[in-house]
Amino acid sequence: MAVPVSRALLRPLRGIVTQIPRSGVTRSGCRQLSVGLRVPAIQKPEEAVLESRSPWRLLGAVFVQRPAVISRDRSPIEKDFAELLQQTELERSLLADHELRLLEDAERVSRKQEEDYDSDEDSGQDIVTAQDLEDTWDQKLRQFKPAPRVTGSIQKQLLNSEADKKADRTCLERCLADSLVLLVKEKIGSGDVWLLPQVQWENGETLRETAERALTTLTGNSIKATFLGNAPCGVYKYKFPKDVRTESCVGAKVFFFKALLDSGDLAPNKKGGHVWVSKTELQDYLNPRYLEQVSRFMVDL
Amino acid sequence: MTPLLTKALFVRNEKVLQQAVSVFRLAVSNPRPVIGCVLQSSERQYRSMPTHGIGRYKYLLPKEVPKKKKEKLQVKAIKTGTDMEYGVLNVQVSGHDMTIVEHYSQYVHNLCNRLKIKVDESYALPTKCTEVMLLQEQGTKMFADAVLSTHGRIVQLSGLSSTLAPIFLEVLLRNQPEGVQLSIKEHTEADFYARFKARPELEELIAQIN
Repeated sequence: MAVPVSRALLRPLRGIVTQIPRSGVTRSGCRQLSVGLRVPAIQKPEEAVLESRSPWRLLGAVFVQRPAVISRDRSPIEKDFAELLQQTELERSLLADHELRLLEDAERVSRKQEEDYDSDEDSGQDIVTAQDLEDTWDQKLRQFKPAPRVTGSIQKQLLNSEADKKADRTCLERCLADSLVLLVKEKIGSGDVWLLPQVQWENGETLRETAERALTTLTGNSIKATFLGNAPCGVYKYKFPKDVRTESCVGAKVFFFKALLDSGDLAPNKKGGHVWVSKTELQDYLNPRYLEQVSRFMVDL
Repeated sequence: MTPLLTKALFVRNEKVLQQAVSVFRLAVSNPRPVIGCVLQSSERQYRSMPTHGIGRYKYLLPKEVPKKKKEKLQVKAIKTGTDMEYGVLNVQVSGHDMTIVEHYSQYVHNLCNRLKIKVDESYALPTKCTEVMLLQEQGTKMFADAVLSTHGRIVQLSGLSSTLAPIFLEVLLRNQPEGVQLSIKEHTEADFYARFKARPELEELIAQIN
């Protein structure tokens, strides 16, 4: 895996630093990031709730990722180079004990077949030769079957036609080499929109608690995830269409929080639909401006 | 020496003295009084050369503290974290394959250097060997099938800021290879003392005293 360039990492960092002060709510200035590797204690804001409301509606969204299970396949150059390195290492290395034993046994056999073979001179031969041991190990290796890198549903998918691809995206054991993100279909305004699970912020709770609530309500409390940090990793700001806009709410701001999936999965027959997608498939679902903000903090290496 | 010669030498030495003074002015500690050595310098001619002391440079170098040969590990006060930063963290990488474990710990170290996270120490834990005993197919005797050795490497960080921590963690998790376990914990005194070997003679002596 290539070492990430620090530039790519500073982008989400800038996202945290520059976007919090820009939000319409002033309470963000006093929010303290309390950390600890023990259970992190979230400190509630100490000041009283503001009476004057800002025209933006606040939403907390959660970006749940199932981390990659296996490493990615090597590219052809990487494969060739790895083979070359292994070959040079093998040629440079010294013989192991087992290999020395093999050579000794072969030599002993060739000495036996000579005419002037004296069996008394020969040192004690083991009952189990090194070659026998190697044969038993070979057999055991053949019996061992590693788990498939491409899981069952994909294999079925490859057999079926291309049209079935979308139906199988709810499966959690999909791309084992990539990380998958949860997307949920919500009804906003007139139509259905695919987006990250989000819920409106309520008075008196921190935005991270809003994100946790979003995860439990929209997924039916079956998913367990660990949140990374108390600070949001991204923001998406949008204005409502003119007919919906009123004086008190001009638009909405969605704050994203990152989380890693521990265990659990959504029930597949949830109405509205949910999907686990990798980064390349995100553009099929999210609308472009939303995708732009999401891809700013989505780490893909 | 004739008084005339001494006078001539005096004059000549004065000139030399001025030059010598200009050379010696740079030396802070000059134990020999400059004026007093005129007579002495008249005996040793080479010091009257204008190029005397031309190659001197060691007085210009900064003073070197003599190196201590024995480095006793002192129990440093372990920093506790504040609200903005973590204290001292131990990133432990462990696994059975030593090359992968070492390469991953080197990757973690290099990543910290790039992200300007201060790395206090980077050390290895002693290897733990586990023997896998299998029951023999015919018979009740157990025979040793394989020896698994667990290698561990620790990279100690300090001052990881709480804004950088989630990004750092995510990058580590993304690049974690198969067969390697990653764990990040806070550094405690128990961790520090676990690195030392038990000294039974010392403990015996202490027990005898008490």
